[in-house]
Amino acid sequence: MSLTLLMQGLAIGLVNGALYILTALGLTLIYGILHIVNFAHGEVFMLGAMLVYVVYVLWEWPLLAALPAIAAVAAMVGWLVERGIFRRLRGQWLQLLVATVGVSLIIQSLSWIVFGAQEKNVPSILPGVLVAWGIRMPYERLAAAGIAMCMVAALYAVVYKTRSGLAMRAIEEDEETARMLGIDTDKVAGLAVALGFALAAMGGVFVAPIYSINPGMGLEAILMSFIIIIIGGLGNITGTLVAGLFIGVVQSMGALLLGAESAHVLVFVVMIAVLIFRPQGLMGKL
Amino acid sequence: MKQQAWPFVVCVLALVLMPAVASTYWMHIAIVVLLNITYAVALFSVLRMGYLSLGHAGFIALGAYTCVVLTVRLHISPWWGILGAGLVSGAMAWGLGAMTMRLRGIYFSLAIFAFGEIVVAFFRAFDWFGGPSGIANVPRPKFFGHALNDHFSFYWLVLCLSLFFMALLYRLQFTRYGATLLTLKTEASERLAQSVGIDAARLKTATFALSCAVVGTMGAVHAQYLMFINPQVFTFLTSTDLLIYAMVGGITQFWGPVIGAGLLTLLGEQLFSVGYWKTLVYALVLMVVILSLPGGLMSLIDRIRDRWLNKPGG
Repeated sequence: MSLTLLMQGLAIGLVNGALYILTALGLTLIYGILHIVNFAHGEVFMLGAMLVYVVYVLWEWPLLAALPAIAAVAAMVGWLVERGIFRRLRGQWLQLLVATVGVSLIIQSLSWIVFGAQEKNVPSILPGVLVAWGIRMPYERLAAAGIAMCMVAALYAVVYKTRSGLAMRAIEEDEETARMLGIDTDKVAGLAVALGFALAAMGGVFVAPIYSINPGMGLEAILMSFIIIIIGGLGNITGTLVAGLFIGVVQSMGALLLGAESAHVLVFVVMIAVLIFRPQGLMGKL
Repeated sequence: MKQQAWPFVVCVLALVLMPAVASTYWMHIAIVVLLNITYAVALFSVLRMGYLSLGHAGFIALGAYTCVVLTVRLHISPWWGILGAGLVSGAMAWGLGAMTMRLRGIYFSLAIFAFGEIVVAFFRAFDWFGGPSGIANVPRPKFFGHALNDHFSFYWLVLCLSLFFMALLYRLQFTRYGATLLTLKTEASERLAQSVGIDAARLKTATFALSCAVVGTMGAVHAQYLMFINPQVFTFLTSTDLLIYAMVGGITQFWGPVIGAGLLTLLGEQLFSVGYWKTLVYALVLMVVILSLPGGLMSLIDRIRDRWLNKPGG
């Protein structure tokens, strides 16, 4: 085990972590408003990857037109789901959670039927590998992680600098008071879910050229996202960031030392350790 | 309204007499239905106290694998395999429950979901546990030297175990313990219960452990019925199937999950040869029930019965 290999693992872990964060942040955002963890999130991530395959590879749209279109479609789906389903179940957390599971099953099974089980590949958009200090990193992953971080920064700006973000934080703090102060909670909830869905789809778009795509990939994504938000503390944006990078590194190191399947088990053990010693998560409050 | 005993007696009689008239195919259906009903009822006992387990299939898989490893790898009698499966699943659930049930329900749901996924990843990671292709040639138990090798004899094992577990979980509702559990459903009433000296976390953990011991035991029997196990048998979709059975049947009464599991399994086994069509139809049924029939099919049955019994003017 040389130092270079260790550095390599660290670099891959940080890059993967940045991509996990993109998906997990949407969950954090929705949790803050609905107090529910959106199970359908992983499937929206998968849908993003599938759509980039359809739009970019099959229809040959330019990338700059494809990305906003996919984000818009995902946001639209999110808005409709909030309107049609989540809003009617507000306050019944068990039913709401089951409903998000139902939505995820519908998206997943429809994708199996429409897209088929065959693995799909999106060709590399940015070929080439960066070599620095003995570490090899494909440009594509680096760019994806960079864009993901920019989007996280943009989300921060929305949540902490805009009026809609202020409204979201107000609802998170105390929904009833927020409503009394004239905040249209329904509208903000719709916005948050739409934004969260768009983020998840973007997460899928960015991993599409890196991994091969199939309708089962959403489950893996949601698993990592859940572990990240538990470790970071539910509803805590900064916690999600830190935990995402942390879990990315733990997983890549684990994969390097123990193998890919065992790395999953290792990540789970880390989650259990956090639940025992710091149940509110790294950054959260109970 | 008082529960009447006769529908229950009719059902049990029908189940007991079934092997005399049914074909092998229908015995297969009956075994699958009984297994699913028992799983759903076990899940219901957790749902009843306001907790949502999204990884019950993980405990089924844990039980199944425990039994298979004990019998195939360590050559222990299948009967001990079944018992060991229940104990291991129950003990694991106790540990996980003790950690997560102090927290809000959502933490429990997420952690158990993660467990369900990881258990399978764990067995897939080690060749000794069969790796990705699993373990075949799982032996079935012998009953006084008579191997339960056909559907008809194996049916009796499944029937006895599932009736036993259902009777147990049913009766537990009406004990002091079962009544206490209902008070833990909301945060406010839980605090009240704790203030009069009820150890809420321990009760909830015990209930979860019992539920998982039941599904672990049935998982062992399930693996013996299939005579193989691999990481694809009990997945997240199994967990959601159980949840759908319970929610569609209705989680306000014990008989809801029974009816939901029975009807949907019959439907699923008959209509769909391809898994994802079944998943799609199940999920659509689930959404319709959640949005427009909050009490599930059971509330529909109650409504029809009420209207029938109280005819206007009658």
